[in-house]
Amino acid sequence: MTMSCLEACTAIAKNRSDDLIVSTMTAMFAISHVSPSPLNISSVPLMGGASGIGLGLALSRPERRVIILDGDASLLMELGSLATIAGQSPDKFLHFVFNNNRQFSGTGNLDRPAGDSFDFAASALAAGYAGAVRIATLDELEQSLPELRQKTGPTLVELKIKSGDPRGAETPQPDIPDLQFQRMGDEARQLQAALS
Amino acid sequence: MTELNDHAIAASALVDSFLSEGIDHVTTVPDFVQISLHSALVQHDAVDVVLCANENQALTSAFGLTIGGKTPLVVMQNQGLLNCLNTLRSVSLDAGFPFVLCVGQFGREFSTLGDDPNTSTRNCVNKVEPVLEALGVPFWRLESEADLGNISEAFASARKRQGTSVLLVGTYTSWN
Repeated sequence: MTMSCLEACTAIAKNRSDDLIVSTMTAMFAISHVSPSPLNISSVPLMGGASGIGLGLALSRPERRVIILDGDASLLMELGSLATIAGQSPDKFLHFVFNNNRQFSGTGNLDRPAGDSFDFAASALAAGYAGAVRIATLDELEQSLPELRQKTGPTLVELKIKSGDPRGAETPQPDIPDLQFQRMGDEARQLQAALS
Repeated sequence: MTELNDHAIAASALVDSFLSEGIDHVTTVPDFVQISLHSALVQHDAVDVVLCANENQALTSAFGLTIGGKTPLVVMQNQGLLNCLNTLRSVSLDAGFPFVLCVGQFGREFSTLGDDPNTSTRNCVNKVEPVLEALGVPFWRLESEADLGNISEAFASARKRQGTSVLLVGTYTSWN
């Protein structure tokens, strides 16, 4: 059965230990809920930025595992980051892509480019990642996580996530709070302090 | 007649200046007018060069490196700067982290060397300073080796403000 973003983040959180987590978009809210930590940083509002931030962390702190919780539309914005990351080949770099074939999941559920035909795992392997897998169920993810955390070299895990139907007038159109624009800097300083 | 050699800054002098500011990484999309600098940085043992597919990644990876305790320099072309303005807004203006960008003025006419770069007729040159001014990002020109002192000023300003400083390299860096 296809998993939700929250279910996937809950499983990842149970296995994170002291890993650094860089998240964005829907996964950002889920991981903050199930695994709040000074070792988390959110790429917000910066769609597409998670993989690059994670690469910088991995290069500066090679002893720490870095987990990226990326969105599918987000990674498409910076698909070239797969080549950038492969070129550096950080040892402890676990890159999850939450593939629900949606942009603005939950609030808009808009289609993203290419639809289900786009293969993120194949793209990562073609770019030079050490490994890449596609996982479609929560059971499979839970069983795979201990082994995935032991992988050496950049590894991409494409998660098939439940998608919702396009939303309409019933969807709230919120006034975005200042917190959304301060969050990344505040978390960056918190993470910087935790690592120093 | 304007002589390029009067304005070309030696790559070795730039590297020495950057190293004296403590850089240990360079994140970059290589720039056509800074090829000699790029080559010198790649060959230097004290610097790790991170080749990026685009300038957004140069900035985000520099952000991650800075969080992790490193001191990156970001090197790109003027076109690249214009390409990554939203990421610059996010990691520097919003997040409040210090970065120094070394940006080459690709397309600058030799006939304008020694004059204000904004006399260039090329948009990728003459729009750079106005765009930085609009963003509130300070910049320093590197028009000849007489301007090398601007590098330490740019780093000091970035650290003091916890913001971005941009160094604008006016023309080709030289191979000495």
